[in-house]
Amino acid sequence: MVFLAATQRPALWGAGSFALQSGSSMYTKQTIAIIGAESDHGSAVAERLARGNYRLLLCAGAGGDVAALAARLASERPGADVAAVACAADASWEADVILLTVPYEAELDAAARIRRRACQKVVVSTTNPPEVPGPAGTSAAEALQRLLPDSKVVKAFNAASAVNLRTPSISGQQPDLFLAGDSSDALALVSDLIAAAGFNPVVAGPLSASGVLEQMQLLLSRLAAGGAAGWKLLRA
Amino acid sequence: MHDVFFAAFEAKVALTSDERARIQRYLSPKKLRRKQYLLQEGDPCKIIAFVEHGLLRSYSVDDAGTEHIIQFAPEGWTISDLYSFLTGEASAYNIDAVEDAELTLVGREAHEDMLRTIPKYETYVRLNITGAYLAMQRRLTATHTATNEERYEAFLHDYPDIALRVPQHMIASYLGLTPETLSRVRRRIASGQ
Repeated sequence: MVFLAATQRPALWGAGSFALQSGSSMYTKQTIAIIGAESDHGSAVAERLARGNYRLLLCAGAGGDVAALAARLASERPGADVAAVACAADASWEADVILLTVPYEAELDAAARIRRRACQKVVVSTTNPPEVPGPAGTSAAEALQRLLPDSKVVKAFNAASAVNLRTPSISGQQPDLFLAGDSSDALALVSDLIAAAGFNPVVAGPLSASGVLEQMQLLLSRLAAGGAAGWKLLRA
Repeated sequence: MHDVFFAAFEAKVALTSDERARIQRYLSPKKLRRKQYLLQEGDPCKIIAFVEHGLLRSYSVDDAGTEHIIQFAPEGWTISDLYSFLTGEASAYNIDAVEDAELTLVGREAHEDMLRTIPKYETYVRLNITGAYLAMQRRLTATHTATNEERYEAFLHDYPDIALRVPQHMIASYLGLTPETLSRVRRRIASGQ
């Protein structure tokens, strides 16, 4: 495991103008659909969120099986509210927040399936393109927003590998996890998810900052190649 | 997905297909299972919910743990905590599903945007709020002046379908009676006293 400990507060894009709205839901249980929950990354996200006060709807991205994962999470944590749902559109209909944990190549296809049910909802893009994105506006998250113009797309969880998600803390310290988006309500909701998963949420800026987050993860993945499981970001 | 919403809307204000398409982009479809909360006391109410199918209720809980039902919302009705929705303050109410439900939700940002840009939405909201105010005034007057029997019979007359769909203790709660008092009221009505 390779650790990256920031020695100073990371530079944030427009951080001052992205104060989160207080007053997100503290008591009302939010329903989270995880589409692509059969993947290593998706199941790790589900494992972490099962610890929070959420109703989780696990949905396979493309023909995988999530029933065993739902049963395991429900049995591991008494009171955990987890169900497997066969259809991504049905899961999205019931959800308040939709996490797409499918591979990059499958994200737009999954988005097309949930489009009508995701209207005005928060949709989280968790994936990273395999190559450095091109010009501004070509990040995976911005492409998703164009396909879902009436949803509130947020970039998050793309910088946490499955291993990192399963063991988030470093010597008792919580690592940071960046997110980006244009809706303050949506950023507040996803920040709650990140905190529930065991990380410090750090808003990097509007959705246009997601290209940088995706490139950063691509760079870290390349640097970590050759045995390391990934990076953790710690604020010193 | 929003058929009942648009039918209720157009019963009050007719829409062109273009206006309908513009409004539809602001609407969020949501399924709620029986007993699931849409809002819990202490959270700010961020939505207005229109019931497409199913039945919701709003209620407060007093210090003794007794529920006081404010409103039932079957198909075609709207439910929210308007005070919390408009001010952003924590709600004193709970809203949950008495039956599995399909909803059309309008968030605060969407609501404000539509009020600003779609005049017919503003008309629809004004008519809805006026109707809700009149209904509340009528209910308050009945609380002060009508007998328990009269109020129960008015409930059965005004909301015959709700009376068949919810348990008696919820009707008692809505009328501000204990379940025992409602039982006596029903016996007296049945015996013609």
